[in-house]
Amino acid sequence: MISTEQLYQTLQKRFGFSHFRAGQLEALTALTAGQNTLAVLPTGAGKTLIYELYGAATQQLVLIVSPLISLMQDQVTTLNVKGEKRAAALTSLMTYPEKNWVLQHLTAYRFLFVSPEMLSQDAVLSALQNVSLGLLVVDEAHCISTWGPDFRPEYLLLGQIRHQLNDPLTLMTTATATQHVKTDIKQKLQLPDATEVVLPIDRQNIFLDVAQFETQTDKDDRLIELVTTLKKPGVVYFSSKKKANETAELLALKTHCRVAAYHAGLDPETRFKVQQQFMQDQLDVICATSAFGMGIDKNNVRFVIHYHVPSDLEAYWQEIGRAGRDGKQSIAILLYQPGDEQIAQFLSDATVPQENEIHYYFQQMAPQIAGDEKANLIWFYKQHHYQERQVQELFERRREQRMVAFRKMMGYLRTPTCKRQYVQHYFDQVSQPDELPADCCSSDQPDIDLTALGLISTNDSVTVSQNEGPASWQAILTQLFNADGKTDAV
Amino acid sequence: MDTAQLITFLSPTAPRRLRVIENILVGKRTVSTLYWGMRYHQLSWLGYEKRLTRNVMDQTALELKNKGLVTVEETNAQLTELGAIEQQRLLNKHYQPKYLNLRLIVDVEALWQRLLLATQVVSEQAYQNKHYYPLQVSWQVKQFVKRWFHQFYSDDLRKAFQDFWQTFLSQLPNDQALLMSRLLVGHQRPGETLVQVAHDFELTESEVRVMITDLICQLAKVIAHTETASLRSLLAGLSRSLISTSAQQTLNSFMAGKSLEVISHQRQLKLSTVREHLLEAAIMLPPEQFDFQRILPAQLVTQMLARLAKTPLDQWQFTQVADLSVEFWQFRLLEILRSKQTDDKY
Repeated sequence: MISTEQLYQTLQKRFGFSHFRAGQLEALTALTAGQNTLAVLPTGAGKTLIYELYGAATQQLVLIVSPLISLMQDQVTTLNVKGEKRAAALTSLMTYPEKNWVLQHLTAYRFLFVSPEMLSQDAVLSALQNVSLGLLVVDEAHCISTWGPDFRPEYLLLGQIRHQLNDPLTLMTTATATQHVKTDIKQKLQLPDATEVVLPIDRQNIFLDVAQFETQTDKDDRLIELVTTLKKPGVVYFSSKKKANETAELLALKTHCRVAAYHAGLDPETRFKVQQQFMQDQLDVICATSAFGMGIDKNNVRFVIHYHVPSDLEAYWQEIGRAGRDGKQSIAILLYQPGDEQIAQFLSDATVPQENEIHYYFQQMAPQIAGDEKANLIWFYKQHHYQERQVQELFERRREQRMVAFRKMMGYLRTPTCKRQYVQHYFDQVSQPDELPADCCSSDQPDIDLTALGLISTNDSVTVSQNEGPASWQAILTQLFNADGKTDAV
Repeated sequence: MDTAQLITFLSPTAPRRLRVIENILVGKRTVSTLYWGMRYHQLSWLGYEKRLTRNVMDQTALELKNKGLVTVEETNAQLTELGAIEQQRLLNKHYQPKYLNLRLIVDVEALWQRLLLATQVVSEQAYQNKHYYPLQVSWQVKQFVKRWFHQFYSDDLRKAFQDFWQTFLSQLPNDQALLMSRLLVGHQRPGETLVQVAHDFELTESEVRVMITDLICQLAKVIAHTETASLRSLLAGLSRSLISTSAQQTLNSFMAGKSLEVISHQRQLKLSTVREHLLEAAIMLPPEQFDFQRILPAQLVTQMLARLAKTPLDQWQFTQVADLSVEFWQFRLLEILRSKQTDDKY
């Protein structure tokens, strides 16, 4: 067994840190003692370090099941950037020979990312059965729970697959999980005795604010005012790409801030550039949809504003969690206009297939074209021998759950009592009143003084233009190719 | 697609089919689309905007109509007098692409991805930095550039790339050179987005997109002729055939002297498919690469032309020759031949 001392040594040697962050050592100690572990750590708490360090310390293959291709690619890139070359993602974007090559060279990898669908393929499963697996990681484990907002039916296969892989040591990670979801995760993965490592989801340095408006113009005016006066950088979230684009233009015009839109409709080149500009402090504000955030590890975000109401508290909490990772005072503001809930409800409804859609897709004899998520969802059930009636009931229940989750979200913005306690209650993590931060939420302090919180931008004259870089193409080339002969101490 | 772009695809002298313009931009290779695309001198735009939707297309046309710049009948649009003036104004004011034809024979999108990533890799190498976030590109491009760097990293890539970009940008007008250089990604330079440069140069997004695509086509041309192996190899495997692989096979058999029936039998294709392949080849390839005479005997051409000579090409009707022993696809082939011989832009 690996000692605590060895864990610290690896932490120092591989990652250059001398201290673990809260929860990391507890999870690692449980794992090295051979205990299956469910780690509930907030976004940004350093979940990935747990399995990275475990892989480095034990020199064994770590298999990570992850729900999204883009997330997997991002995780591989992040590992590569840190100098770990033995990482790969096995995805449907690879050609057959490429996949095959990876499968035949499994021992050359330390970290392998797969989707649950990919993992359930015979060729993949049998290749993995033939190597010694150090650790199975179920990332975003809440996807297994029909009670959670991101339920993915493929995750239901994981309990069985885990047995087929000879019951390897397993780490389940998630950022936000209610008691109900935690129990569900352990039950569905058939690991009822797994050790729980749960950190408080609360983020005491984020002030929680909700503001209501009669008209959209009022809302826009307030947004402009906030973006102008608040300390930057910040993120404004929208439910629609169109609105994100439009508002990015509006803010660029009215605020002198460097603003860009970010959503799934952009091409990868643009997404990369916007992301990197933001990381390198060349942008003040991002107007984003929920597509923004993956792989963004920026610790000085001062505000997260929501222009639309998210569909549930899990999503809201995940998104505002991008603020204040450096521990400094930050703010989350939800701008609400009566009627907004219809947008949210519509979007939420749109993700769950309706009765007639289920019936229609059940009649189909072949899998649907890629991209039609609902069709693929129903195909999944059909393929796994569900009856149409069962599926109808399943989605009926799901619609009800989505409705309940949304009502809880609306409850957050309507509650006249402490919003932080409301959230804590939702996630079954109630704390004592004396544990609440002095500056807590707009229910307690409706007229919060942003200056007193230190959230007002001190240099009003930030009028750095978009093109603050070199003014000539010759200068750009000189910089790109280091023609001055500088070497960075990197 | 915006109104300024659609205007340049229309004509004041004859109505043009909006569906053809749309299908060309989306990249549909049906014979009818290709034929009319050729007639509209729009083939170099084939597949330029693969995600264009019918809705956007119709909205744009409607906008032009509401401004009194076009008349629309069914789905055919023609510039009004006002529209013709606006078209002229835009042609003078907006950047006009010159090299888009290259898109048909080189996968310029992939070339740009490779070049952008390679430039970033070389830039970081110039600063001896190994820990950076690489540009997100397709798996294929990423693998290609990895292998490419493995092959060339010991060359003086820094000098090769600096010289290359220096030479390329210095032959461009200053604003174009600046615009392109600002897109580049490298050490502590995330690069600017198309929207950002459009904003700074006071251009529309679609204008910048055309300009960049045309500049990338020029890059492809320069790279094809460069002596520097590290750069030239970035083009490896990116050449495209003017016609589909299947059409090429049909054409090869045809040019080898096989009859259409034999080709149909040997390739297990319908006769109509074989004919479509040949029409596609006749449209897309230079006329000397297609044996028109085998399908259009001189006597038949003379007979048909006697009926058609006084009618402008785009008003030819098959009914004018239908009583001769001629099939529609032969008639279409004569149209293609005529178009190539006279190139009468209308």
